[in-house]
Amino acid sequence: MTRTYGLAGTMIFIIASAAAALGQVPKKAGSPADDVAATAAIMDHIWLDAAHNRDTGTLEWLFADDFVEVHPGGFIVNKQEQIDQIMDPQRTLDELHPDDIHVLYASPDVAVLTDITTIKGVSGGVRYDGPQRVIRVFVKQQGRWRAAGAGIARMAAK
Amino acid sequence: MIVLAFLMSFALDAFSQTKGAATPNPGVDWKALDHKWLDSEKNGDLDYLQQFFADSYVLVLANGQSYTKKEWLGILKGPDRPTLLFLNSENIQAHVFGNVAILTDHTTIKGHDSKGNSMDGEFNVFRVVIKQNGSWKATGVVMNEDRTKKP
Repeated sequence: MTRTYGLAGTMIFIIASAAAALGQVPKKAGSPADDVAATAAIMDHIWLDAAHNRDTGTLEWLFADDFVEVHPGGFIVNKQEQIDQIMDPQRTLDELHPDDIHVLYASPDVAVLTDITTIKGVSGGVRYDGPQRVIRVFVKQQGRWRAAGAGIARMAAK
Repeated sequence: MIVLAFLMSFALDAFSQTKGAATPNPGVDWKALDHKWLDSEKNGDLDYLQQFFADSYVLVLANGQSYTKKEWLGILKGPDRPTLLFLNSENIQAHVFGNVAILTDHTTIKGHDSKGNSMDGEFNVFRVVIKQNGSWKATGVVMNEDRTKKP
């Protein structure tokens, strides 16, 4: 229980901090697309934080019902399969975070972004050991943003 | 957790100034769209691809290498364009969310690059198309070699 409240408190703090920061964006850019892009970037962090922390409640809330994700190796999972993988006790993730977030497209009800997600560990029977290039899709449903899906490709070592 | 979800929903929604409008998409033939896309790449129909690819288009290959619209069309029309002898998709699944759709498919490629290196492979592909000004346009692709049936 303490851990749950701790996570919740952390996430609220992050959101509050982001909200404060974002509050300055419209004054400079004044574009709804900029607002959507900023929101999508925050959602990206919420998504991976929830996955890292095995926060099922947040993932259930975040993932759209028809959510789909394609993993390295070509494994395709739906919402429940993705959550089951995250909750799998065999799963071990030492590191999971996005960097280099770029919003490709933003409209009032759609946001598509790319990021480089660092994953270290084993999830869904797939071993990850470094950067993955990801496309993530967010949609607005019934007035709130949800994750619609992601495609993940392992980045070859240079 | 319910309280948290509510707070997050409220906070995030506050950033958006416009209510989303999920536009119904009756009659969209996603399989035909997918096949037309691949046929155009195979046959070098660059006029179609120029129109079909959104300006935001990004192609991510199975090795993580990414190309923008300009970069990918430049390759397809340039001297280093690949030779695609066979390019076909199967098991096309559409996940439609109003003005965006995610297509997944199994794509088979047979061909070679400009240096003769084989490009043969079986891929499970994540495709994103968005509706802009009434037309569906490709905005993202992530390819992964299909290892789901291999031990």
